[in-house]
Amino acid sequence: MVYTHRHPATLIMGAIFLLIGLATGSGLLDGLIQYLHAQKYVGEMVWLGYIFGVAGIVVGAWHLWGTHEEGDLDYYLSTVAGALFILLVALLIRWYVAPWVAVISKAMGPVMGDKPIHKVLGLNYVVLGILAGILITNTIGVPQWARNGVRLSRLGLKTGVILLGTLYSFAELAQLGKLSVVLIGVFVLGSVGLVLLFGRLRGLPNTMTGVLSAGMGVCGVSATVAAAPVVKARPVDIAYTIGTILIWGVGCMFLFPIIGHVLDMGHVQFGAWAGTGILNSAQVAGAALAYQPDGIETLKVAEIFNITRVLFLPIIVLWLALWFVKREEGAEKVNIGQVVIQKFPLFVLGFILMFALSSTGVFAPPQHYKGKYFDNNIPESKLLKPEEAAVLKSEIDAVRAKKPEYVGALERLVENRKIMSREDDAMIRGLNNAKVMSKQANKLLKKAHKAVRHTAKKIKKFRQWITLLFAFGLTGLGMQITIAAIRQAGGQPLVVGGIVGTLKAVLSLIVIILFVHETI
Amino acid sequence: MRKILLASHGTPGARAAERAALEMAAAEGAAVVHLYVVPEFWRGMRGDDWLNNASTQETFGNYVEGELAREAREEVERLAADARAAGVTLSSRAMFGAPVDCLLKAADEEQPDVVVMGMPRPKGESGYNSRMKLDLLVRELKVRLLIVPREPS
Repeated sequence: MVYTHRHPATLIMGAIFLLIGLATGSGLLDGLIQYLHAQKYVGEMVWLGYIFGVAGIVVGAWHLWGTHEEGDLDYYLSTVAGALFILLVALLIRWYVAPWVAVISKAMGPVMGDKPIHKVLGLNYVVLGILAGILITNTIGVPQWARNGVRLSRLGLKTGVILLGTLYSFAELAQLGKLSVVLIGVFVLGSVGLVLLFGRLRGLPNTMTGVLSAGMGVCGVSATVAAAPVVKARPVDIAYTIGTILIWGVGCMFLFPIIGHVLDMGHVQFGAWAGTGILNSAQVAGAALAYQPDGIETLKVAEIFNITRVLFLPIIVLWLALWFVKREEGAEKVNIGQVVIQKFPLFVLGFILMFALSSTGVFAPPQHYKGKYFDNNIPESKLLKPEEAAVLKSEIDAVRAKKPEYVGALERLVENRKIMSREDDAMIRGLNNAKVMSKQANKLLKKAHKAVRHTAKKIKKFRQWITLLFAFGLTGLGMQITIAAIRQAGGQPLVVGGIVGTLKAVLSLIVIILFVHETI
Repeated sequence: MRKILLASHGTPGARAAERAALEMAAAEGAAVVHLYVVPEFWRGMRGDDWLNNASTQETFGNYVEGELAREAREEVERLAADARAAGVTLSSRAMFGAPVDCLLKAADEEQPDVVVMGMPRPKGESGYNSRMKLDLLVRELKVRLLIVPREPS
């Protein structure tokens, strides 16, 4: 079969990218960029515009005028059309639509505290990208020429997770790993067990209970896909379960950031909650990026939870397989080794490899912590202004009363108008996260921290690529969420799933608010 | 009457339509074409899964395809047995897509004298959410349409 479609779309998309690069580089779009406050994307618009522009024009010309024969070259080059389609949608949203939404939202004024509506709803380029994907697939549909390449979104997300491995330190991975194993262990096993119990109490067939418990417990649709053949789920069980999970996932992606903002949760708290409480793993990443669009600390926490969940997946599938065999006469015996090997997520090995490489100092000098380093040899312009130091000074007594351990570092900051040592920097970050000072003072602590922490160039590039890969992957995944599939939500799975999903989200929120206070 | 197009998935509503179609066919000496539609929402049923490897996804795809084929086969065989018992000639065709599009296409190709189908499923009753768009069907169908009410349970 020949996969390439003789269609001008790739060529046209390449030309659009090239035009964006040229117009931005020559300053033609300066007025628009200023209006949108999108100056931070100018570099991307130029170099990504050129790269994707040239790639699109070359491959597009091949698609349109080349001779296509069945084979690997045809198969792989045919995916460029879909990949460029996702990129065009994702990047137009990142560069223009999301900033425009922010401009309109800010003009409308604050709606919750000092936050405008787009911050409250987390309407950034990631969420808008997912929504655009859902909108496209359910209205005009993903064009035939793009369908093969749209599947690359999965590869994009997995590559993003692999690259994320470069950004963790040993201590951080150990700390988050322990936290995620405990929380995921309790809540995953708890919700799987709860669904099995509810299923028995409500007299549901084993096939339905089995597939629903995997979906509600581990990682949503992915777990359903992995477990369905093992528990011999009927098509109606699969349709109900996936519909229920999709409706939950999309709903949670919007609801979780709003609740997180209302409760003023820290990055670790929110990442841990999203990673535990949201059923579907794609929406975990979406919610994390919605909560913190300008940084990836929340995403880092959430992805550790996602990885822990996917490592739990073979165990859960095995559990369900044994559970099913015990209850169903004539069910096939389970080959434990085969299940574990087949369901093992290979990309996690890539993540571990990148983490190991990063730890050797390949990407940043070994004395750097997570690719960042401390240097307080900063120019006068980066020092706190005297009036800013005075604001901090006025709150020292309040800090002494509530968190006396931070007073020394704070006093040295006030005296020198900059953070004086690596240890002080850690204390100032801790003080900021403890949220015992006023909002204005906390902003000043952040400013002082940013002035002395610098990111290694390679790591900065990794961070940029990770964000782009997640935007690409999640927009592409949005194109695979159909309303027709969501509409299958119903029946007993909706009832049982609703109860267990709500319990999991609420209980994990309570546990995290009460017991998780770590920072990264 | 020479040909009846019967749309049925074997749901309780469709069973009433099956009985009516077979009775009519037996009385009129007509043949029945049984249309079985696999709804197109299955195309999106892998949703946004991205964690699984290709082997797991392929296993799932093959499994679902196999199960849908098994369900279709069972329905077709059951109705064929009923038709044999009623002395009616029955042929079957399975299609993938939106139910209304498939029915319109089948009606266009088969040129039946009448299309027979059951009442839409009452709200709250379990089953796929893939209803026939009746308004579109009534507007576009060029042959007679018989919607058979459910028999009281």
